Amino acid sequence: MSIIEFKNVSKNYNGHPAVKNFSMKINAGERIVILGPSGCGKTTVLRLLAGFISPNSGEIIIDNQIVAAEGKIIKEPEKRNLGMVFQDLALWPHLSVKGNLEFGLKAKGIKKIEREKFIPEMLKLMQMGKFINAKPAELSGGQQQRVALARALILHPEILLMDEPLSSLDQDLNEQLRKEILKLHDKIGFALLYVTHDREEALDIGSRIIVMKNGEIEHQAKLNIQ
Amino acid sequence: MSKKVFLICIVICFAVIGILPILFMLAKSVNVDGHFSLFFYKNLMKSGREWTLIGNSFTLSFLTALFTTIIGLPLGILFAKTDLPLKKTFAILFTIPLLIPPYITAISWLGLLGREGLLSKFLSPAMMEFISKWLFGLPGCVMILFSTFLPIVILLTITYLKTVNQRLEEAGRLVSGWAGVLKGITIPLIMPGLLLASILVFLLTLGEFGVPTFLRYDVFPVESFAQFSAFYNFGAATAAAVPLVIITFIVLTIERIFLREKTYQLRPAGGGNKSSKINLGIYRKWFLIIVTLLCFCIVILPFLILFFHSFSVDAYKEAISRAGDSLFRSLAYAAIGASMLTVLGFFIGYLIHSKKFRFWRAIDSLTIFLFALSGTVIGIGLINLWNRPATNFIYATPVIIILGYLAQYTALTSRITVSTLAQIPPSMEEAAQVSGAKWMRRIVLVTAPMAKRGLIAGWLVGYIFCLRDMGVTMLVYPPGHDTFPVRIFTLMANGSTELISALCVIMIITTLLPLGIGGLLFSRFLKRGN
Repeated sequence: MSIIEFKNVSKNYNGHPAVKNFSMKINAGERIVILGPSGCGKTTVLRLLAGFISPNSGEIIIDNQIVAAEGKIIKEPEKRNLGMVFQDLALWPHLSVKGNLEFGLKAKGIKKIEREKFIPEMLKLMQMGKFINAKPAELSGGQQQRVALARALILHPEILLMDEPLSSLDQDLNEQLRKEILKLHDKIGFALLYVTHDREEALDIGSRIIVMKNGEIEHQAKLNIQ
Repeated sequence: MSKKVFLICIVICFAVIGILPILFMLAKSVNVDGHFSLFFYKNLMKSGREWTLIGNSFTLSFLTALFTTIIGLPLGILFAKTDLPLKKTFAILFTIPLLIPPYITAISWLGLLGREGLLSKFLSPAMMEFISKWLFGLPGCVMILFSTFLPIVILLTITYLKTVNQRLEEAGRLVSGWAGVLKGITIPLIMPGLLLASILVFLLTLGEFGVPTFLRYDVFPVESFAQFSAFYNFGAATAAAVPLVIITFIVLTIERIFLREKTYQLRPAGGGNKSSKINLGIYRKWFLIIVTLLCFCIVILPFLILFFHSFSVDAYKEAISRAGDSLFRSLAYAAIGASMLTVLGFFIGYLIHSKKFRFWRAIDSLTIFLFALSGTVIGIGLINLWNRPATNFIYATPVIIILGYLAQYTALTSRITVSTLAQIPPSMEEAAQVSGAKWMRRIVLVTAPMAKRGLIAGWLVGYIFCLRDMGVTMLVYPPGHDTFPVRIFTLMANGSTELISALCVIMIITTLLPLGIGGLLFSRFLKRGN
């Protein structure tokens, strides 16, 4: 059963269409990769789903609830139970690794005693336990990626959105982190919506690949590998 | 001339204009009859009055900085990040009090709250006495300087909010509402900028001379001015100026060490950052009502009172006949000062931006230091340096006024240049260099034309600040060369309410009219550029 659905969603920026009549369903635990060149509208799809922007037309449905429709955001981003890893990671520079993970837990009203338990657990899972008090600027690119992933997953989102998260890394690290993302997916079981322009990355990560061009789905394919 | 030599000449020029007078003043304050002596300082600190004045200055500065920060931050957030209606108009309106000399705002409030003010028609004499006492003292000074310096906090908040990477806030929005994001992410990220704004307000209030003099609240800068102009005790005036130099220096050094290092590189590398907008929803109209009321009370009402009091053709005729000459001088000096500030600020800004010399940070700090320093202190420094027969061509002519403008306001144009140059890719100048163009040619034909928006904005800001200046001009103007704000200030002692109000209205119009025209042309120019 699908947990997320886009129904004929369109989005324009200053009259220029970024996404046109976009329809898609995401099932629980599925790994979907949106593949396409720069400016094809793939990041806009993520931002629409996250609730940062509203569609000009069409509907977005999460867990059978319409969360955005016809120019309106009905459900705010913080109520959609999504995790996201941004292209530039967007780690808060003034907060430590712990502070970055704690922010969401605090916002959700999770007690200190539980926060103190969840954060080290998550960091251990990401092999980042010893960096709990480090500031983002003190970490390497790969370590920052892991913190961004930890932050996105600590609230156990139903779906994880990833916007070209590995694009700035060298080939070796890129491949290593891809494997780690897949391992985490198998372990935790979140649905994944991954955006990239890299074919190899798409084939490696996706169980379904959607190719976008000029704001529209050009074609999509399910891969046999699970 | 090579780039290095030219920029060194600019640095020397700035040092002679801004730093040398202060150093001369410091040296002279410890020199009695050619010998080292702390006589003036001992004399100064002996009297309990000086400590009271310092205490008053600190109280006034602290309260003004506190209130401007508490009110300026939410206003800055409302104007930069929300869907509040008319937010651009509000931002412009709130900026107006900063553009005119603060004592004009004080005059307008006197017209409302003074014993014979407009309110006296509706309230009992006893009540008016109480309100008038309140105005003539610390609360009145805080209120007027609050409305004057509030735009500094608003504008710096808006500026710093624009530098926050949208993704940092969006990452927060996935788990928290806007209130949590502002509290936990956005405000901490702009904290260095916010504290810089508070510090600037603190220092500008500390150096403010016109409003406390007018409202008879004794503060330290008045002491320096009184020693100089009333008693002509130059040594005492110099010694009285030095504590302000030291306080300004210490506060800015603390800011530099503890805050500027904490400035985060916030914008994403790719640029194209657009700030996330907060939807105020059902609270929109309430915010609109609150902001409108505040704007009416601290911006519109004071000007309405001035217009009301000056509502007579005779008052304007008298104003022109008694101060017309100083008005034209003011306009001319402000135009010359702004043009020179634009050129000097451009090259100082270029030097800071390109980090060409190791001491670029020191130059940046010195411009800010001079901007934050009391105008009376700079004035005393200039007199110390140039009051000698060999340099009479400077001291006894309007050149000294222009030098005062350059010393105090270079920070404004250099800062605007730095932010403008930051938007021009270095490859533009490099491409011209590869094509064989020498440095000055590259500057004139490539960099300056690309920075023309910043240059025009710098000129306008420089013009406004030169036009409203009183701190420096009051001390250094040669006989027959007083400017319009100085003339109003001196006429205040014996001029009628109608005359003073008319003069103030003329001052406001001459400030805002060119700004309005310039702003319109500038926005058309920007549209055409886009």
